[in-house]
Amino acid sequence: MTTPTAERDEPAASAPLISVRDLTVSYHVARTGATLTAVEGVNLDVHEGEFVTVLGPSGCGKTTVMNVVAGLVAPTSGEVLVDGRPVTGPGPDRAVVFQDYALLPWRTVFDNVKFGLEMQKHLKGDGWRDRVQEAIELVGLSGFENSYPKELSGGMQQRVGLARAIVAEPRILLMDEPLGAVDALTREVMRDEIEKLIAATGKTVLFITHSIEEAILLGDRIVVFKSHPGAIKEVIETKLARPRSERSVQSDPRFLELRDHLWDALQAEATEAAVAGGS
Amino acid sequence: MTATVSIETLNAPPPRRRRTGPGKWTWLLLAVIAGILLVWEAAVSWLHLVPAAFLPPPTAVLASFLELLVDPEFWQAFAFSMQNLLIGLVLAVVVGVAVGLAVGWSPVLRFTVAPFLWLLYSTPKVALAPLFILVLGLGNESKIALVFLLAVFPIILNTMEGAVTVPASLVNASRVYGVNGLALGWKVILPATLPYSLAGIQRGAALGFTGEVLGEFLGGTGGLGHMLEFAAYQFQMDEAIAMVIVMVIIANLTLTLISVLRKRLAPWYDDRQIMGRS
Repeated sequence: MTTPTAERDEPAASAPLISVRDLTVSYHVARTGATLTAVEGVNLDVHEGEFVTVLGPSGCGKTTVMNVVAGLVAPTSGEVLVDGRPVTGPGPDRAVVFQDYALLPWRTVFDNVKFGLEMQKHLKGDGWRDRVQEAIELVGLSGFENSYPKELSGGMQQRVGLARAIVAEPRILLMDEPLGAVDALTREVMRDEIEKLIAATGKTVLFITHSIEEAILLGDRIVVFKSHPGAIKEVIETKLARPRSERSVQSDPRFLELRDHLWDALQAEATEAAVAGGS
Repeated sequence: MTATVSIETLNAPPPRRRRTGPGKWTWLLLAVIAGILLVWEAAVSWLHLVPAAFLPPPTAVLASFLELLVDPEFWQAFAFSMQNLLIGLVLAVVVGVAVGLAVGWSPVLRFTVAPFLWLLYSTPKVALAPLFILVLGLGNESKIALVFLLAVFPIILNTMEGAVTVPASLVNASRVYGVNGLALGWKVILPATLPYSLAGIQRGAALGFTGEVLGEFLGGTGGLGHMLEFAAYQFQMDEAIAMVIVMVIIANLTLTLISVLRKRLAPWYDDRQIMGRS
């Protein structure tokens, strides 16, 4: 593997690949007639090849930010630029991995991964077959091409989700708590695999999680969110050497320092949220 | 109302069970049936508790049943009924699935049209049968219309329920991977809804058959219902009871056929999963 041993390239002075500018998203709640502000005044730049983890309590709007970047939700004010152009909808340059896998239950593993190529309507010849097969091999699911999702474990289903996301070779991978629904042991294995996979493909990643360890282990930078309303609390550079693995990192003093810091930050946030929710 | 109907219809398919051959319950059931038949035969033929003209004994019913099977008139009536049932059901499936998907998928339609659908569903449409026969005549048209009317609502409402319960993440994933508009309906919403639609079709088929028989009963020129009515009118109770048994067999075969179809068309279909979502 030809991964850089030090942390990946420092964000260059060039234009960021993803640029979230003064983003505010509010929803109108039909039932109560109230307006709910999901996120307010979010600014974030992500450079090509960067792995940014987004950490925050549930309901802090981190998924909303990701959905705007994905083109699934329109901003109320502000904008998101990808490669300098405002996002107006989904595009083949961005792929999403969903927490609940979102696989089509009537399609086999092969056909689910193929679904990731459907954005490119002009697939000619049999080239796409090789690409699908390659993606399936990359996530370690060879031999399961003809299985249906319900025949697979949660971890394997998320591998399908991952293969579907990378098959079209997007520049940006948006991952919404991809390991949130996977059992603890599988989660640890898959963290390491995602780390390797991303290092090998050099994709730009926005990775949402509510696990502190996951945020540190995977991220070049960690964006910490606060809630009520959702906004960025702080951004931390992990400054940990790559390749990282669960084992090597956990004894690193920098890891422990980060973990304590994030723990305190989230703890304060959770307390505030509880007070705000209670009043 | 919504919950009642969907749970009732979705409960319909039996959970997949390992085949263990006829268990002790099957034998018990057969013994009970044999017992009932024996008591029936004894009460009519031997003890003369009931006049055989009112309630013919099982042996007479069996004889009539066998006679029916070699009677060309019966097969003509059978073809008449089945043809109407089939045409009515096909129309109901096409209209029901299309309307159900549209209403389930569009919030505007769901809030404007759906209440009327529920209202119509709960209306005793059987009461409209004489009106149909008056307007559409004694021939096939009134029967097809009745089959359609009775079958279409469970299909619409089940399809609608199915379309509403398609997980949002599935729709989001489709949009992310470039599936939009009509393709979204065709590639995602329709297959995701299929098991629900099939449950509705199963129910619709049973109701539609009732509609067909009812139509023939009330004013018909042919068909099984007409034959049944004629036999009863002539006081041939053995033939009438044999006809009822034929109808029970047809109804059950239809339901079994659709169950098989459902397993073939939706092999991913998992009762528990659907129950959990609804």
